[in-house]
Amino acid sequence: MLTSNRKTKEKVFFIGIGALTILIFIPLFHIIATVLIKGFPVIAERGTKFLTGTLSEGGIGPAIAGTFILTFLSALLGLPVAFLVGVYAYEYPKSTLGQWTKTLLQIMIEFPTILVGVFVMQVVAVPMGTYSALAGALALAIILTPYVAVYTHEALREIPSTYREAGFSLGLTRAKVVFRILAPMAKRGILTGILIGMAKVAGETAPLLFTAGGLYESYPSSVTKPVGAVPLLIYQLVQSPNPVDHATAWGASLVLLAIFLGIFIPIRLSLKEVRL
Amino acid sequence: MRKVESFKVATYPAVIIVFLLFAGMLFVYFTNALPALHRYGLDLYLENVWRAAEEPSEEVYGIAAAIWGSIYTSIIAILIALPLSVAYSVFVVDYAPKRLKNAFIILSDIMAGLPTIIYGIWGAFFLVPFLRDWIMKPLYDHLSFIPLFSYPPVGGYSYLSAGVLLAIMVTPFASAIIREAYNMVPFTYREAIYSLGATRYEATKILLGYIKPAIISGTILAFGRAVGETVAVSLVIGNTFNLTTALFAPGYTVSSLIANQFGNAFIYEYMTSTLFAAGLILFVIGLAVNVVGLKMLKRWERDVNI
Repeated sequence: MLTSNRKTKEKVFFIGIGALTILIFIPLFHIIATVLIKGFPVIAERGTKFLTGTLSEGGIGPAIAGTFILTFLSALLGLPVAFLVGVYAYEYPKSTLGQWTKTLLQIMIEFPTILVGVFVMQVVAVPMGTYSALAGALALAIILTPYVAVYTHEALREIPSTYREAGFSLGLTRAKVVFRILAPMAKRGILTGILIGMAKVAGETAPLLFTAGGLYESYPSSVTKPVGAVPLLIYQLVQSPNPVDHATAWGASLVLLAIFLGIFIPIRLSLKEVRL
Repeated sequence: MRKVESFKVATYPAVIIVFLLFAGMLFVYFTNALPALHRYGLDLYLENVWRAAEEPSEEVYGIAAAIWGSIYTSIIAILIALPLSVAYSVFVVDYAPKRLKNAFIILSDIMAGLPTIIYGIWGAFFLVPFLRDWIMKPLYDHLSFIPLFSYPPVGGYSYLSAGVLLAIMVTPFASAIIREAYNMVPFTYREAIYSLGATRYEATKILLGYIKPAIISGTILAFGRAVGETVAVSLVIGNTFNLTTALFAPGYTVSSLIANQFGNAFIYEYMTSTLFAAGLILFVIGLAVNVVGLKMLKRWERDVNI
């Protein structure tokens, strides 16, 4: 009697957690399906004009260009700093500054991104007197940096310490050991971090709200002028009362989803663990 | 003279830049918030008023409703996310066959990284009408005498919609932390429990007690994420100043307030400063929550590894 009661509990428990687990993923499938169903007809109907045309022609070309510019510019600004910080945190794990650095990086990953946007607006966009690609990229760079630094740190830590010791025993300086021996060995992990960081910032909206400005009727021409971005455009179109704008927003969402999954899935499949 | 290591010459500037950026942020928020703090004092955070006026002497701001909205929606989110992520962790670690396990982990990672604006557009066009028609209307029709359900769900943009959308967004994040912790439970413990003849359910109950600190820190960090989320929330919350516990009422959060009002804040004398003060409180909440969550998690990980 008692045993059967325990077995029933066991069954109920199994079914319960199985159902809850599946429940978590229902929204994901629903989101992907909705974006495909609503976005695909828009792109199919407008054809290549959707990907290359300006907003009044029914396209999001400038926004796509803006997203690529912002993403690469932010990588350019953020990567050197992120790499060096990650290396530092790896070399001095026990020192006070090293531990503070690690904690700071983790806090920065979790930090509300809108705050980064408003900060950059105040220190870059306000003095310049205009929104610009540069300001947007700087905000994104601040968000990208901790990801790349943490991945660099993790990638270096996975290298067996014998290589370090061997390097030092040859009389090499710390800089030579780290930059010439360890960093090339950790290349793959670092590259993964870069790509994940770029996938992340390509989809960011909040940091661009008051920095990038938006530009949808012509292609961007200069980094000191306002620039558009796909997520930013979606945000603005969703708030418009016009159904045509909503259609464009769904099409743009499909493009954004494709960009994100295009970067993310290949990395994720070639990797054991990802931290976001 | 001691030779300065070239390694330090190369890395120190980068480390200093990162620290300066963070300190600079705090400084910028603080100094820009000062005019509003001087003028309204603590009432800025404790009162619920929003009177924008051309004439500076008539401007009055108090962002209590937005602070309440941030906390309320995030609590709704973690109340939903917590049971889901614990169930997920147990299922993935204990029950799922290897293939399914990998598939679940990959899906969860995709959910965690998905651009938030995609959650936003889906939330605004699908989730809000769905919740309004299937959850809010029936509850309001039959149970509106309960204060929580007493607000008529007209548009559907509400604290509940925001809370549910946030729950969907932070669940994979909390799941990852809890799953990792559950996975770290030493194997001997499992063996010992099973050797006593426990069923899996009974074993799970005991093991979840063991990882309790990790579950708590995962929840705290998920709360931190939810508090900082901006665009998805601002598309579903209704953007109205409403200091209430009514779930179906439209509201504001600090981040959606900033996102919504900053664009035209420059016209008014004190609004910009007020929004910086709002950012400052978000800064402080975000920092405190994350420091506590991360510290707890680290301490637990160290204890387990010993």
